[in-house]
Amino acid sequence: MLPVQPLPIYRDRNRARGLTRRQLRWMENISLWLAVMLLLLVQPLFADASEHQVAYGSGQFHFVAEGHRQPAPVLTTDYQLTVTGLIAETRLQQRFGNDSDQWQEGVYTFPLPDNATVHAMILRAGEREIIGEIREREQARLEYETARQEGRQAARVEQQRPNLFTTRLANIPPGEAVTVELHFQQPVAYDSGEFSLRLPATLTPRYIPGVPQTAAQTEWTGGWATATVDVPDAHQITPPQVELHEVAEGSHNMTIVVELRAGIPVAQVASASHQITEVRDGGSIRITPAAGALPMDRDFRLSWQPLRGQEPAAAVFHEQWQGEDYVLAMLVPGESGREALTRELVLVIDTSGSMSGESIRQAREALLGALDTLSPEDSFNIIQFNSDTRQLFPESVTATADNLARARNYVSQLDARGGTEMAPAIRAALATEQTEIGRDLRQVVFVTDGAVGNEQALFDQIQQDLGNSRLFTVAIGSAPNMHFMRQAARYGRGTYTTIGNLSEVGQQLAALFHKMQSPALTDIQVTWPDGFDAESQVPERVGDLYLGEPLMLVARGSTPQGELKVEGRLSGEQIWQRTLTLDQAAPGSGIHRLWARGQVDNVLDQRLSGLPEESVREQVLSLGLAHGLVTPFTSFVAIDTTPVRAKDEALARSAVPSLMPAGSERQRISYPQTATPAPLLMLTGSLGLALAAVLTLFRRFRRA
Amino acid sequence: MGRMTLMVVTLSAGLLMAGLWIPLKAVVAQELLTLAWARTQAEQRQTPPWPWADTWPVARLQLPGRSPALVVLSGGHGQSLAFGPGQVNGPEPGGKPATPVIIAGHRDTHFRSLKHIQSDDELRLQFSDGIWRRYRVASVRIVDSRQEQIDLSRYDQNSLVLVTCYPFDSLDAGGPLRFVVEAARDFPLAVSEGA
Repeated sequence: MLPVQPLPIYRDRNRARGLTRRQLRWMENISLWLAVMLLLLVQPLFADASEHQVAYGSGQFHFVAEGHRQPAPVLTTDYQLTVTGLIAETRLQQRFGNDSDQWQEGVYTFPLPDNATVHAMILRAGEREIIGEIREREQARLEYETARQEGRQAARVEQQRPNLFTTRLANIPPGEAVTVELHFQQPVAYDSGEFSLRLPATLTPRYIPGVPQTAAQTEWTGGWATATVDVPDAHQITPPQVELHEVAEGSHNMTIVVELRAGIPVAQVASASHQITEVRDGGSIRITPAAGALPMDRDFRLSWQPLRGQEPAAAVFHEQWQGEDYVLAMLVPGESGREALTRELVLVIDTSGSMSGESIRQAREALLGALDTLSPEDSFNIIQFNSDTRQLFPESVTATADNLARARNYVSQLDARGGTEMAPAIRAALATEQTEIGRDLRQVVFVTDGAVGNEQALFDQIQQDLGNSRLFTVAIGSAPNMHFMRQAARYGRGTYTTIGNLSEVGQQLAALFHKMQSPALTDIQVTWPDGFDAESQVPERVGDLYLGEPLMLVARGSTPQGELKVEGRLSGEQIWQRTLTLDQAAPGSGIHRLWARGQVDNVLDQRLSGLPEESVREQVLSLGLAHGLVTPFTSFVAIDTTPVRAKDEALARSAVPSLMPAGSERQRISYPQTATPAPLLMLTGSLGLALAAVLTLFRRFRRA
Repeated sequence: MGRMTLMVVTLSAGLLMAGLWIPLKAVVAQELLTLAWARTQAEQRQTPPWPWADTWPVARLQLPGRSPALVVLSGGHGQSLAFGPGQVNGPEPGGKPATPVIIAGHRDTHFRSLKHIQSDDELRLQFSDGIWRRYRVASVRIVDSRQEQIDLSRYDQNSLVLVTCYPFDSLDAGGPLRFVVEAARDFPLAVSEGA
């Protein structure tokens, strides 16, 4: 009976079979699709994981932008310099290659020489060439934004600091490259019989002091810092920085060609930063780095020396621009007899985190070298600062053997970490109550990489606190902030020097301390002939000149005729006098820009003495627009006429990183990936198994 | 019909196994690492836990709670995080902390218990010198890794920073948020004057 019993049920089942089979087939289809979807879901997870390993292993740089990981544009740069006499004109090409399959907007924050003047910009995309135009900064931003949204190709270059600029490029097509060409000029430095110039390739990450500001609506730059009360544009001066091995292969390379027409016989050309090769051809010398393409992790430095006995003592150049005459004059005071002066030497050393690695070793060497220059009549002190300021001695002490031994020991134990709170250190170093009576000179030597974001506030403080002291800056590292070095020394009525590697320390310091013995020329008076606008002379006020330094003057006026008179006081109360005949001026070019840049600097300086911001803005703006220069208030913008990107296609944004300076230790680390796909795998696995179980049960139920 | 089910079963089982393998590996590796750590301490040199490992133990970290101390590996890359928390920044081998110590760990495995961490909790850390250093949690914050990097200059050499992913029960392994525990060295009162 038992076997018969289930039959009716079986038959019932049989009756329902046709329908169930259809249902089953349907469910089978669903499960198949589910399986496919699972695969699709899990596959990108693994892809993601393996991509991440690639990012650590072989090092394709991925910038996390708006939630997606994508390769940043590949950056290559090319510098073509032409040095004519005292002015170097550079054609800089920045090429951004978009390797991704998306339209991209690239933002690149990069350094230029601190005394450079950007005066032209050209955007090249494929066959098209668009000449950039100078605009008021906000106007340029609006034009660029409109073009970006309309899908037109556009480029914009603006100044964040005198030595820090930002290039923006909208609508780089996937798989293509766009080039931005910048033309800038800079005066060549001349010091102690040696000409030199510097092309910065990267920057040392700057310390941003101050309390964070409440999030204001600002333009995206990919900067790592948030705006603070002290540095409201912090996000614009802190581009992401990575190590060389983290960028795509071939990215962040620079090629350099220098065409040197010195105008005088050149004895020797050298670079303290790279191996170079030179080819001489008549009056010009062609210089290239021996290695070809260079990684952009250290500044390129070049120097050349005139033949012995042919060092220039004076030079005059003239240029006519838009009906006006501009004159550049250089004078080198000779060496004077010197007497031994006693001095109080205050050594200030930056021991902030940005100095860690190679920089702090250079700085320690520099301090030890400085201690060696002290004679027993001198007095000294050492101040170190990072987040806090500490002094070796409560006040300056006599340079006895005992004190020096203590100081050497102190210096050898200096270590770099923490922030760069520079203001208290400057205050401590310049504090007048510490000035010891009975010493002829009070000298403050500031050893730093200048990696700060609040430069202007510090200059203000130096000017206020200086008193009788003189401030000298020693720039350390592969990419110091030269704007800070030069200006701090100018406000401090001293001079500056740079140290790029350990082997240079001795030589550069010897030169600096030789100069520091006494100013070679003080109380300098300049008299221009009639027809010259003496008020607008650059620099506005001539400071003290140190040994070997030339006097460089630029002025605007009528046809160059008559005599330029310069008078000053040598140490030991002697009067020094020189006249220059302007009639024999050699033709020059770019002098009007030198003059305009000097005027801009003058106006910006007057902020410190209380010139209202609106007036500063107005004057700088009109100078920038008239001479076609990038200033804090004027930017270059180039915009294509026809849209290339359809409105419905997305535009990704990426910040092109800068490299960390060679030899520096990383101060900023990206957050690592700290989750595994385990929960997702387990969840999908369990769901799949549950589904299979349901299926099997169902089928068994059907068969039973 | 049977084939379909079999496919689903195999695939799901595979996924589940892969999912279970990750935490299992994390637990088993810690046992092996404890041995390697003992050898590191005894011989005072870097000892890879297994011959082909590209990481080695650098410290031991005791999180609050009763779980045993975790062996911390060098580097914050995926290779080391799979087996233990990774030291992203810290002292040179054999040295004392001269810079802030930054340790990252997976939120699904070793650093799962950070979910319950609170201010003032005690953390202990041992480097190869064998001394257990005590730290107190000063703050816990959540950051967006797209907008922020770890800024070493914010911390001094007496800082310990633990990093893991956030939120803890998320399924997304590539999320941008990070859970950051900042702790400061807790000196015994008598010593703190001289230290």
